[in-house]
Amino acid sequence: MATVQTDQVTLTIDGQSVTVPKGTLILDAAKAINIDIPIFCSHPKMAPVAVCRMCLVEVEKMPKLQPACAVYVAEGMVVKTTTEQVAKYQKGVLEFLLINHPLDCPICDKGGECPLQDQTFQYGPGASRFEFQKAHFDKGVPLSDKIVLDRERCILCWRCTRFSEEISGERELALIQRGVHTIIGTFNDEPAQSNYQGNWTEICPVGALTSRQYRFVSRPWDLDRTASVCPGCSMGCNIQLDARSNKIGRFQSRENLAVDDGWLCDTGRYSFPNFQRLTQDRPQIRRDGRLERVTYDEVIAFTADALKASGQLAGWVSPAASNEELFLFQRLFREVLASPNLDHRSAVLEDAEPDDMTLPIADIEHCDQVVVLGGQDVIDAAPVLHLRLFKSQRKGVNVLKVGAADVKKALDAVPAEAQGVGILATEANKKAAVELQGKLQKKVKGSVRRLIVTTGPNGRGAKDLGILPHRGPGYVSLNGKSGKGRVEWPGAGVKALYVHESSPLHGFVPTDAESMWLSALPLVVFHRFKPSPLDEVAHVIIPGHAFTEKDGTVTSMEGRVQRIRKGIDAAWVREDWRVFQEIANHLGADWEYESVEAITGDLVRALPPYRAVNEGARVLWSESR
Amino acid sequence: MALAKPTVEEIKTRAARYPSRQSAIIPALWAVQHEQGYVTKESMGEIAQILGLPPSLIEATASFYSMFLARPEGRHDVVICVNAPCMLRGADEMAAYLGQQLGVRDGETTTDGAITWHSTIECLGACGGAPMMQVDHHFEENLTPERIDSIIERLRTEPAPHGPKPEKAAAVARPRAKRTQN
Amino acid sequence: MGLKPVLTKDFHTENLEQLSVYERTGGYAGFKKALEMQPDELVELVKKSGLRGRGGAGFPTGNKWSFLPKGVYPRYLVCNADESEPGCFKDRYLIEKSPHQVLEGILIASYAIGCNLAFIYIRGEYLPQHEALESAIEEARQAGYLGKNVLGKGYEIDVILHRGAGAYICGEETALLTSLEGYRGEPRLKPPFPAIKGLYGKPTVVNNVETVANLPHIVINGADWFGAMGTPTGKGTRVWCMSGHVNRPGNYELENGTPIRELIEEHGGGVWKNRKLKAFQPGGASMMVLLPEHLDVGLDFDAIQKAGSLAGAGAMVVMDETTCMVDAARRYVKFFHHESCGKCTPCREGTFWMSNLFDRFEAGEAKATDVDLLLDIGYSIDGRSFCPLGDASTWFPRSVIKFFRDEFLEHVSEKGCPFKKMAQEAVA
Repeated sequence: MATVQTDQVTLTIDGQSVTVPKGTLILDAAKAINIDIPIFCSHPKMAPVAVCRMCLVEVEKMPKLQPACAVYVAEGMVVKTTTEQVAKYQKGVLEFLLINHPLDCPICDKGGECPLQDQTFQYGPGASRFEFQKAHFDKGVPLSDKIVLDRERCILCWRCTRFSEEISGERELALIQRGVHTIIGTFNDEPAQSNYQGNWTEICPVGALTSRQYRFVSRPWDLDRTASVCPGCSMGCNIQLDARSNKIGRFQSRENLAVDDGWLCDTGRYSFPNFQRLTQDRPQIRRDGRLERVTYDEVIAFTADALKASGQLAGWVSPAASNEELFLFQRLFREVLASPNLDHRSAVLEDAEPDDMTLPIADIEHCDQVVVLGGQDVIDAAPVLHLRLFKSQRKGVNVLKVGAADVKKALDAVPAEAQGVGILATEANKKAAVELQGKLQKKVKGSVRRLIVTTGPNGRGAKDLGILPHRGPGYVSLNGKSGKGRVEWPGAGVKALYVHESSPLHGFVPTDAESMWLSALPLVVFHRFKPSPLDEVAHVIIPGHAFTEKDGTVTSMEGRVQRIRKGIDAAWVREDWRVFQEIANHLGADWEYESVEAITGDLVRALPPYRAVNEGARVLWSESR
Repeated sequence: MALAKPTVEEIKTRAARYPSRQSAIIPALWAVQHEQGYVTKESMGEIAQILGLPPSLIEATASFYSMFLARPEGRHDVVICVNAPCMLRGADEMAAYLGQQLGVRDGETTTDGAITWHSTIECLGACGGAPMMQVDHHFEENLTPERIDSIIERLRTEPAPHGPKPEKAAAVARPRAKRTQN
Repeated sequence: MGLKPVLTKDFHTENLEQLSVYERTGGYAGFKKALEMQPDELVELVKKSGLRGRGGAGFPTGNKWSFLPKGVYPRYLVCNADESEPGCFKDRYLIEKSPHQVLEGILIASYAIGCNLAFIYIRGEYLPQHEALESAIEEARQAGYLGKNVLGKGYEIDVILHRGAGAYICGEETALLTSLEGYRGEPRLKPPFPAIKGLYGKPTVVNNVETVANLPHIVINGADWFGAMGTPTGKGTRVWCMSGHVNRPGNYELENGTPIRELIEEHGGGVWKNRKLKAFQPGGASMMVLLPEHLDVGLDFDAIQKAGSLAGAGAMVVMDETTCMVDAARRYVKFFHHESCGKCTPCREGTFWMSNLFDRFEAGEAKATDVDLLLDIGYSIDGRSFCPLGDASTWFPRSVIKFFRDEFLEHVSEKGCPFKKMAQEAVA
């Protein structure tokens, strides 16, 4: 936790001297010198409560043991964490916790990654001396359609209820009853509505709160864990993709303080079944009205020739494709097929520009005024933003949620003496956001920055890399060689369409008018991860990789370039980038990419601001312009 | 059952007096229990609405305090203390006698719906007059079997002290509760 | 030493709960005099008097007041009338007999600390006492003792009477504040102390009923008068709540330092039924048991602590030779188990476990090793709990094991309570 004081305090913990900033907890000071003090209730994102009493340590001159999670360091303090008294007491508190905790570890989803299990092993008593009936509570309570609650396993650490109060602010979970009868629950046992429930399962130090989707799926030691990025939206939350037997088991958070602050939303977390590969489909070509299975080589040759022969072409690539795919896709269209009709969007939206991301996510906390233009629409588009906004509010930031039409209201509400103003809006409301920004810049003393929530996990990348009819990579103008955007295609004499979508969450969903047009189109190439209704109108189907099955990079709404990694091996499916390269080469190009990394390297050469990829940092366009 | 208008008004009045409306939760629960005899989840939801607070907060608070009843009980509430200071002066015997005379077990309501009784380990603050019990929160001290008999007889016919009117229990004719000695 | 009615001086007066009667006995003269003084002078006066809090901890009241940070407003006074300690019934008595005396004390304390809104947190079970205070506040308001401009002196004060709803833990001052804010009555971390961050995050003083009831008398008679009563470190009087096996249980206001023997034998009329004294417990359910050898200890915070117990909230539970100490401890442990808020592990689980063990002794199913198991559990609760409730749940049972271990073992060897058996045999 950041502290404003620069004063340093020196203390001794288990004989080692350590110097930490004033305002540091004993627990954190110990951590700084690799002394591990066991905890259950303490959580770095939440105010200390000191309820579990697991972290009690000896502090010289204090008569009682002190909770390391709640006592701040002082100059000259002498702390002892491994004395006989402490050890005896740790055994005592674990024995207490186990009195009413069932011994069902073998069938508990938390088994193997359970702090209670681990600490019992390390610090606990060998056997329990408790010889009475345990207090019985409900097991398997459906807290919502996402979470199941086992009230017997709960050790009342208050983490989930504090999350509900301090992190999401929804105050949906509460402690009910008192004493040994205390339980956690929602009001009147109504299903929990929060979009952040999955986080409860991660902060729960026992198996009381577990995800229904992960019930009995795997043991942690059987999981293959891959660091990646959530495919849910453009927030760019970091995830751990946990797979078992080459099947996705779950998405877990992987803290990135600048982005997600350690949290995920349920929309993203529980989206993984969409990426589960159900069938082993093959490339297909429609002949005499029927789709026939062919080889990759056949489909590539056929597609290349058909595209070449089609005349007016259009290409749509989903905002969930990787930067490397996007880069090659636009090269294929612009350089090889000489078609300027490129798009990744669903509708015509305001022009995209680097100024759309001058406000980094983490800087929301450092604004004094934040206008959420469009209110809940913005949160729905990137749910984890709510947690950042709520955190900011608790720190004193004034967060104003207004309708997209309420520019005037927002303008009036922001005081002239504001030092730092942030504006958040979705792509659909960009125009209003720009208008508000302009007016506020005239009104207020401080800076006014905006952050436009892009659509799709790589909508920003698609814009940066010029998957637009009127902009090339790096937002360069096409000097009168602009093509047509998606909504114009049906009326522009387009004869062939190549749709590439790797995410069922951000697919090509045709409007009614488009459906009619598509069914009459001479050539529809559909390059996708799994069967979809669009297969019906496709002449060519090329199976591709899911978001979770490939390596590459994606760019979040704030311009942060982050790596996604292959968590599931679908080796029999040809990599999407390789398909693009082979189509290009079939048509006379001489691309020689051997790996994704090679494409990334080329991409950075073509677009120097993208060197940010090496640090997982934000692309800083202003420096290069 | 929606809350009666005077109850809603009382809750609002109380809320306005405190520096934070949240402080009105316990007074609001009292007002509801006064009107309805117990506090349903539905009423908690109503309190939440009136005070503009999340309903989970109302249930969290209501369930913490032992005096808020979750289900309807008899017209009269009889609680007999059996903690040590009362035990020393024969509270166990009085509790047994009370149960025997009422013909129902600890925590139950008499068949005529007149009395719900239970023993409590929670000291009620009349150790000097032990054995003691509270009848509708009024003190009855220095209990003897004869005194218990006469109290039961009175309660069998007396109306409930609470009701739709949020006025004080004193509105109901009742003998003045015995005060502590000294 | 001996009986010294100060707070209870006029309690024989009929209708003392009425304002006019209270005024006739000199009521509100203290508040009027206080209003002529500077608040700081009052704080100094109370400091000088040596008045210590009567709620249990015995912290000097004037010092508590002076901890409030300068210049931070609003600040609150909360009168703790959540008397729930088994064995205690003095606050109830003080309120019932003279609600205006309590209110006057609150007004003086409020004026002294610069508070314009005071609270009385009264336990839910004290309904008649709630009504008495409610009437008193109304009468005082009509008479101008409360309001925007008290007695034309430009001081503003209002008092909100807040009724609890059944939770012993709310007698702990931080839990009381949490409860007053509408939450579950769970204690809070200290620091910050209520004086710095109390009710609604503002500087707050919490004073017990008996503590504030002393204030009118100190203001009228002065610090020296008060200091002349009692012992050097325990000035003034205390109202002792005597219960259990004595001939005349009830409240007795005695000068601090009066020997326990005098309270029990003289005022209480001695142990009832001509039986012998076995043990007694000062302070209430929480406090350690003392033995006949301690009868000459003075009723005073420090003297009782030296003898191995604590004066707490001023209870005196007397137990004669027929008392089963195991059963007495069982009741208290069950009480703490019932009243544990559940916030911290040791208290929540430890009192549950101890309660089970005591039931096993009572049922005659305990093992001899259970005695040491109780001590072990006590080790893991006392000093480890979040608040004193957990700690205190172990004090009485552990002191009983210390002095009466044999009784536990008899429960084991005789497979049940030897005292119950004796009583049954006597009846047969």
